[in-house]
Amino acid sequence: MAIGKRPVVVPISNVNITKGLKPQTMSTSKRPISPYMLGPYYKFQITSALSILNRLTGVFMSVVTAPLLLCWLIALASGEGKYNALSAWLGSGLGKLVIAASVFSFSFHLFGGIRHLIWDAGWMMEMPQVKASGWLAVIGSVLLSLIVLGAGL
Amino acid sequence: MSMQNPLARVRGKGSSGGGVHHWRSQRYSSLVLLLTTAWLLWLGVSLAGADYATASAAMSSPVNAGMAILMAGAIFYHTQLGLQVVIEDYVHIAALEFALLIFVRFACLIAFLISAIAALKLVVGA
Repeated sequence: MAIGKRPVVVPISNVNITKGLKPQTMSTSKRPISPYMLGPYYKFQITSALSILNRLTGVFMSVVTAPLLLCWLIALASGEGKYNALSAWLGSGLGKLVIAASVFSFSFHLFGGIRHLIWDAGWMMEMPQVKASGWLAVIGSVLLSLIVLGAGL
Repeated sequence: MSMQNPLARVRGKGSSGGGVHHWRSQRYSSLVLLLTTAWLLWLGVSLAGADYATASAAMSSPVNAGMAILMAGAIFYHTQLGLQVVIEDYVHIAALEFALLIFVRFACLIAFLISAIAALKLVVGA
């Protein structure tokens, strides 16, 4: 057994025949127990990064964007006072940040979803194509976000 | 033939048998959202910063009301399906997982109902 360049001798008393190394001999290395795809342990790959981002944007829209759209409809149906209060909040710094994050999440999830639908049809599944469509999704979602935010401001 | 122990089956371990339906539902709702996306972006851009009179006039159109109800249905159905997968992936306490799945279902259903009622109220002009 070797950690780094230095060979490490494991005393025979620390080795359990059926379970391998005893836990205390493993405590020096804080390695992940499974391919943990965040942080420095795992090489950056456009595929895994976009997969995680697709899920994150989906959760963000579930928790923030969809309830915000619902609030907009409720406020509009509740009358001018409620609507003006929501409009004022949306015009504040935090409101603008929420809108920008929502527009980006929507755009990214849109392109991510289109990629999934293309794969479901059995197309573009070779690795170079998957990587290319991933970068296209990144560029496309940034551009769409900028266009929508630019047009709305 | 089932490879599963009858006791495991009773305890609800293993496949629910509903995977294909879930998968198809997620795709169909995504197609509806894909087709209605242009409308939502157009509405959002045209009503950005709009006052009450402008916004309520826009939502009094039957086309906009219908699109809003259709899109609310697709959004909250797709949201429920997506959050279900996230909960099933990351929440491993059985009781909490069950409670969250039920909560998400009810929350999405109620959100759709409220959206539809609000859109109808705006188009009828109550």
